Order: sequence, then structure tokens, then C-alpha cells
Amino acid sequence: MSSTATTLPADRVGRSMTADEAAARSGPAPYSNPYLAGIGLGLVLLASFVLMGRGLGASGGVSAVVAGLLNSVAPAHAQSREWLAGYLADGANPLKEFLVFEGLGVFAGALLSGLLARRAMFIIEKGPVVSRSKRLVFAFIGGAVMAIGAAFGRGCTSGQALTGGSLLNLGSWAFMLMVFAGAYAVARLFRWEWR
Amino acid sequence: MHEYTLARHNDLIDPLVHVWNWQIPSYLFLGGWVAGMMIIVGFFLLRGRHREETSVTGVLPAVSVALLSLGMLALFLDLEHKLYVWRLYTTFQGTSPMSWGAWILLAVYPALLAVFALRPPDVLRDLWPAFDRLSDRLAEPRMVRVIAVTNIFLGVGLGIYTGILLSALGARPLWNSGILGVLFLVSGLSSAAAFTHLVARDRGERELLATSDNVFLLVELGVIALFLIGLLSGSQAHAQAARLVLGGPFTGVFWVIVVGLGIVLPLIVQSLTTAGRLAHTALAPLLVLAGGLALRVVIVNAGQFSHWARF
Amino acid sequence: MAPLFKYGLFSADTSLVVAFIIGIGFGFFLERAGFGSARKLVSQFYLDDMAVFKVMFTAIVTAMLGVTYLTWMGVLDLSLVYLVPTYLAPQVVGGLVLGAGFVIGGYCPGTALAATATGRIDALVYGFGLYAGTLAFAEAYPLVKSFHGMTSLGQVTIPQYFNLPYGLVVFAVVLMAVGGFWGAGWVEKKLAASNGGSR
Repeated sequence: MSSTATTLPADRVGRSMTADEAAARSGPAPYSNPYLAGIGLGLVLLASFVLMGRGLGASGGVSAVVAGLLNSVAPAHAQSREWLAGYLADGANPLKEFLVFEGLGVFAGALLSGLLARRAMFIIEKGPVVSRSKRLVFAFIGGAVMAIGAAFGRGCTSGQALTGGSLLNLGSWAFMLMVFAGAYAVARLFRWEWR
Repeated sequence: MHEYTLARHNDLIDPLVHVWNWQIPSYLFLGGWVAGMMIIVGFFLLRGRHREETSVTGVLPAVSVALLSLGMLALFLDLEHKLYVWRLYTTFQGTSPMSWGAWILLAVYPALLAVFALRPPDVLRDLWPAFDRLSDRLAEPRMVRVIAVTNIFLGVGLGIYTGILLSALGARPLWNSGILGVLFLVSGLSSAAAFTHLVARDRGERELLATSDNVFLLVELGVIALFLIGLLSGSQAHAQAARLVLGGPFTGVFWVIVVGLGIVLPLIVQSLTTAGRLAHTALAPLLVLAGGLALRVVIVNAGQFSHWARF
Repeated sequence: MAPLFKYGLFSADTSLVVAFIIGIGFGFFLERAGFGSARKLVSQFYLDDMAVFKVMFTAIVTAMLGVTYLTWMGVLDLSLVYLVPTYLAPQVVGGLVLGAGFVIGGYCPGTALAATATGRIDALVYGFGLYAGTLAFAEAYPLVKSFHGMTSLGQVTIPQYFNLPYGLVVFAVVLMAVGGFWGAGWVEKKLAASNGGSR
């Protein structure tokens, strides 16, 4: 007993160092089984239905943030935009929005998961042939295109496909099938970006 | 609440709501942060860390002086009558925390400069040989102990003062709690430990500060609980004030940004770090610092929302 | 009785805290699934990794079955769960545009947030694109307003629209998903074989 007590501090130091080095050296952990992750996601969505009476979303949070930012820079202009009016009615704070706070949670939850799996790192995701700057330009364009699609679709993959899909919402299913159709249709054109 | 907002939410009409903007929260945040750093510096001096080349005791005083000056600037910008600032120093009111604060701040600068002079940068030594003699005099063990203890005492005083400054205003029930001083002190300590963890080059210091920051964050959670319980068990106005963050308009920002992202998330990340499962990154310290500022912003703003008039 | 919020169990301000906690679960499982990586996500459209399809449909089926059972047990009042109104034509076009944006940008809004949290710089830039696109849409809204509001069908579900029993549609979706999972596995194996296991 006394021998372990005396060796413990040195042992601790040694172990924490190797653990540190091991964490730095070993690569990211493999992703979860897609069906298990899907069940987890489905249960979170179900919890949102039961607690809040609404599903998950993401693009609506973007609109709220845009409304809030525009309102702080150019209030008169922001309030004259019909599309953003819903977020700015009665002088309400557009950032006090379900989807904005859900988004903060997404950030925290993904960060925790990524850290635990050693997948959190500053990198640019791209295919092997495309340059980094070109990839960033197309990431920006893709985001802008996506925002316009989400505006017409009344939601994105989270708010429409996932949430509406599980509620058997007619428009959501039409939207979801078209998302896959649109993506497969242009996939060949943008193969250079990924493969 | 609505009727009150419409009828009385009017600049310079009783009760004065929203006359304090960003300046006061920034000042309280920077003051608390510096207070925490003074305590940490004092502690390290007592352990003789200032003799180590890589110790943060060489960095913290200069940073503290800069941050405190920034905070004073924010406070100065907030003053209605900027030209009369000197009057604070022509009087001493024993019962006024403003007066206490002004004098504590006056003592804080020399205390920090003394630590700085213990290990001045080589440039200064070459430039001014007298500086060398001064630092030799200060480096005597007895002097170091005096400097260390002075810094710790002034740090605790400054940290508590940033809270008492608010709680002395009896007209604002949310602030009217003796625990506020402790809360701001602990929060300042956690900010300081987080920042020091961020800039520390010495491995041992970094580990120690990350671990102690975890303790400070845990204590801060406990103090927040005490603060709210204390208000809830107080008068109706106090309970009403507590409800501003318990279902009221400041609930989301308080629990999500201050507690969730500013305390709990960095606590988890930093615990994984100290357990050796993650490398040290700037993430947790930056979250803690942002959370510290958010705490002051929420308490100051919510406090201006809370009052006695409706009872 | 659920939904708890609609029955006034907590205030709108408290619901923001609930939103944060729900978001943590959402972000956690998105990242677990690998959706914090653009390469993983777009692999779906080059048919060599069907994780997007598998995760999404597992989640849809899980939540759908949960909603169905809770409604049957009388715990959840489905009429109080918000349903986005259907505007068929703009949603079909929006879906196509969004699908294209998915391949170009590599993310969708939710996954981009998860990817930004784990340090993907392209996801951060994609997010700026989202803001720019939303702003552009807000500016151009008067021009597209009439199309945006076309073919309004109101809040309507598939069983209501086609006049089918709810349970039957649920059953059909489950069957479809199971078939899809089997098909997805088959495609992955087929492609792995034709690539000679190079990937």
C-alpha cells in the first residue's frame, strides 16, 4: 500500500502525459452507427414535439439573426422588409427566438461530440483536386443558394424534411423528394469539388 | 409589466431605467477580472513563482494595469459630469461604496506596479539603472510577502466592491443582495484563472489554473443558486426580481448564455482537459471570459428592470 | 398532457432554455452521425456512403412512430403540434434549389452549424453565404412574392390529402424506409466492389 502511495504522483504524471500525447497522436474516432444516430436524432425530435409542440429547425434561426442584425444597423429599412416583418413585430427582439437558442444548443452539442471524438479541428472540407480558395467560394455560393431554396421551401432539411417528414406533412414530403432530386441532378456537375 | 413599460420606460423619468449602457457592465467585468488576477499573482508570489523565467507573474501585472485602465475609461465615459471626477478624491464617505471603490482603485495601481517592478523587462533595466536597484530592493523575501498579501487583499476588496457597488442601490431589488459581491468576486476569479490559463507558458501553472478555474466555476454555480434562493426567500419585490431570470424576460439569456455557454460548457471542456482527454485550447478560457461579461450585462440590465414601485 | 408548452407548463422565456437543451441533443447526434463533415454529407450524392439517407429516415421513422403511439395513448395532442402550411409549387422549386445548394456548399443550415462548431472553416463561410442569401431574398421578396404564395393548400398531411387512414400511411412509410435501408446497403456494397475497395 505504501509503495503504491509513493509511486502514485509520478505514475499520475506519466499517465496524463501519455494520455495527452495519445490524444494528440491518435486520429478521430469512427462515426456512430447511422441507425443509432438516427434513433437518437428521432428521439430529440420527438422530445421537441412533446415539450414544445414544434419540431427542429435551422434556416428560420438564420432569418431571425438576419432580421436582428439588419434591424440594429438600419432599423427603418429592416422594418420595411415584408419578409422580415414577422420577426420585428411590436418591437420584439428577433433574437429571443426558439430557433436561435436551439442553434446555440446545436453549436454546444456538436462541439462536445466533436471534442469527445477528437473530430474538432480547424480544417477545410474539400475533395483532393479543388483549391482551398475555390472551395470556400463555392461554400459561400452554396450557402446563398440554399438560403433561397429554404425561403421558397419554408424550411430546410431540419425544419421541413426531418420535422415535417415525421409529421407526414404533405408539403414536407414533396420538398424532401425534390431535395434529393435536385442534389442528384447537379452532383455530376460538381464532382470536381468533392472527388 | 406591459403597462409599466409603456408608461414609465422613459428616459430620465422615475424610476430611471436603462440609463446604464455598456459602460458599467464592461467596467464591472474588467474590474472583477483584474481583481482575480491580483489574487492569483499574490498567490504565485507567495509560492516564489516570480523567480521562474516562464511564470505568468511577469505578464499579469502589465495586463492588469491595461485592463483596469480600460475599465476606468469605460466608467469615465459613463459619467454625466466628466469634469468633476476629481471630487471623488476630495472626500471620503465611509458608507459609500463609490468612495471605497475610488480609493481601492487608487491603491490597486501601485500594488500592481510593484509586482511589475519585481521583474521588469530588460529594456527598462538597461534604460534606467535605478530601476534595477528598485527591483532588487523589492525582491527581498519580506517585501515580496508584503506585495503578495497586499495584492490578495486589494484583489478581494476590488472583486467584492464590483458587486457591492450594485447591491448598495437598495432601489433595485435584484441587486439588493449581499451575495452579489461574492458572486462577482468568484466570477472575476474564474475569468482571471481562465485568462491566465490561456497565456501561461509553464506547464505546471497551466494545469494548476485550469484545475482551479474548474473549482471557481463550480463555486460560481453554487453562489448563483444561493443568490437566487436568497432573493426568492426575501420580500415580494426580491422574489419578483429573481423571477426575471426564472421564467421572466431574462431567463433565456441568463441560463443559456451566462450559465450554459459561460460556465457549464467550459467546465465540461476544461474537466476533459485536466483529465488528459483533450489538449489545452483557447476554447474554454474564451467561453469563460465571454460568460463573465455576459453575467455583468444580464445582472446590470435585469437589475434596472427590477424595482419596488409596483408593490 | 403534451405538448407541455402549449398547456402553459412553462413561459415563452423559459422555452428558450428548453430550446437550448433540445439543440444540444440535436447538435450532438448530428455530429455523432458524421454530419459535421461536408465530405461525409455529399458522399450521399455520389452513392458511396448512404449515411444521410439512413440517419434521416431512421430519425423520421423514430419520431413518426413516437408521435403516433403517444397520440394513440392520448398523451400528445397532435392538433397542437405546429404543421408548416403546404405551398406545393414553391416548395417543389425550393426543394430542387436547396438540393443543388447542398451539393455546391456541402452542408445544409443545421449541419453547417454543427460543422462550424467543430472547426470546419468551409462551414463558417457557408454560413456567411446563408446570411447573404437570406438578405438577398428579403430584398427581392416583393418580386417573387406572388410565386412564393402560389398553390396554397393550408396545413395538410398526406393521410388528410389522400384521404387515407393515418396508421396505414405510417405503416407504408416504415415499409418504405426498411426497403430503402436494404437498398442503401446494397448500393454501398455494389459500389465498394466496383471501386475494388479503393475507398
